[in-house]
Amino acid sequence: MKKIELDGVTYRYSPGTPFCKTALDGISVAFEENKITGLIGHTGCGKSTLVQLLNGLLTPTAGTVFLDGEDVNRKGNDMRKLRFRVGLVFQYPEYQLFEETVAEDIAYGPKNMGLDKEEIERRIEMALHFVGLDGSLKKVSPFDLSGGQKRRVAIAGILAMDPEVLILDEPAAGLDPSGREEILGGIRAYQREKKNTVILVSHSMEDMARYADDLVVMREGKLEMQGSCAEVFAQAERLTAVGLDVPQITRLMGALKRRGVPVRTDIFTVEQAKEEILRLTGGPRHA
Amino acid sequence: MLKDITLGQYFPGNSFLHRQDPRMKIIASILYIVAVFLCKNLFSFLFITLFTVALVLLSRIPMKVILKGVKPLLFILIFTTVYNVFFYQGEHLLADLKIVKIYFEGVMFALLMAVRIVCLLVGSSVILTYTTSPIMLTDGLERLLSPLRKIHVPVHEFAMMMTIALRFIPTLIEETDKIMNAQKARGSDLSSGGLIRRAKALIPILIPLFVSAFRRANDLAVAMECRCYRGGNGRTRMTQLRLHAIDWTMLFTVLLCGGAVVIINLYSPGFSV
Repeated sequence: MKKIELDGVTYRYSPGTPFCKTALDGISVAFEENKITGLIGHTGCGKSTLVQLLNGLLTPTAGTVFLDGEDVNRKGNDMRKLRFRVGLVFQYPEYQLFEETVAEDIAYGPKNMGLDKEEIERRIEMALHFVGLDGSLKKVSPFDLSGGQKRRVAIAGILAMDPEVLILDEPAAGLDPSGREEILGGIRAYQREKKNTVILVSHSMEDMARYADDLVVMREGKLEMQGSCAEVFAQAERLTAVGLDVPQITRLMGALKRRGVPVRTDIFTVEQAKEEILRLTGGPRHA
Repeated sequence: MLKDITLGQYFPGNSFLHRQDPRMKIIASILYIVAVFLCKNLFSFLFITLFTVALVLLSRIPMKVILKGVKPLLFILIFTTVYNVFFYQGEHLLADLKIVKIYFEGVMFALLMAVRIVCLLVGSSVILTYTTSPIMLTDGLERLLSPLRKIHVPVHEFAMMMTIALRFIPTLIEETDKIMNAQKARGSDLSSGGLIRRAKALIPILIPLFVSAFRRANDLAVAMECRCYRGGNGRTRMTQLRLHAIDWTMLFTVLLCGGAVVIINLYSPGFSV
């Protein structure tokens, strides 16, 4: 089911001035419910603009944004309520922390929603659990935490709002591999439990291959490709033309195929590659 | 939104005025302001207006930009004009509106004051702020004030502070925009409620902003130390300011303009301020 959808959306920055820049150019794309959709594209292709249109921070110059089939920018629509339904985690969200303790900072969103104390408390626990932070950190000042921990607190602040659509803009940028895995793994676990819609913006094809169900590829403000990970990664040449890459393992399978090994090329995780190679070699050999 | 505010009105170009030495431009703009204040009667005002128009043409800055710069002054202009028209006491009565009397001198005075304010703003901004990049401006200021070093005024440090402050204004504006959006996404409400509620709603924006300003300041200080920055002593510059003959022409032109204003004041008849 389509959860959130852009229909012929164009967005221009500073229209009518010499600095006018078209960030999105008549793009139509839909994001499916109960799935993690990866949004990829070259730097400056309009990804960050697109996600801000989804929660009403920006209003399209032309076209419509639909949430559950309703125009989000219709007259009289409560924008605050919309933002509680469509949660957005910005790039480097750790720079938005301001409260005295971790718990209070996570509670900022739920408090704005007008939830009661017990519910807020319950949501703080839930959010901390999914981002993998220990409950003992609740009374600590967020400014005393490490960079990676701050990032998790900031993400927890949005998770605690329990949005129907969760959008994360480069949530793992600048983290080490284990930090990436914990944050993205937590988001995946969260999605699988809540069965909501998650949109994940990232540059890392490896992360996309591991955590996303579907992919949306953008190019210069337009939709380039859309489909499951397997469908998109199978078109390696097209991705390269956009200035993007395919996961290393997909590239390896492509190289094997070119050398005459009859492997499938729509493979994008190491596990799948192992299965495929074992299939070709006739299963694991037991000594 | 916040990005639309133009700070430091520098308008890039390559006109005669743009190429002038910043030191000369600073002195010339001071002389120009003095000349504007020396104007006493209709003819000297006419002269300074023509001179200002010539400067605008010379700078090749579009009229639209100049008018946009005058716009914030509109309120003050209207206010002073109305005030002068109604409350100036003169000899030749034009109209008697019972409560206030309007005199011919009052109208003249109001007109000349308005011309003075507009000339002041347009002329000095064309000579200085529109045609000089902030970096050149602080450079020029530092060089001009450098004699003060003899009496232990930290001139270089002041200039460096100015340069850094100017450099970071756009950065901080962008940062504020980002933080505001991030807090809006968490449901912060900046545009409703009473004064106290609105002030409180600013906390989630101001605290991250201050934290990031301190962080940036710290990073910058470390980066400067790493490159062995030790203040102005013995420091050389990449762009050396050198005065050429052409740089003096600007100064002399403005000087001549001032002289002409004084002479016109002396030898022309009519109403004088």
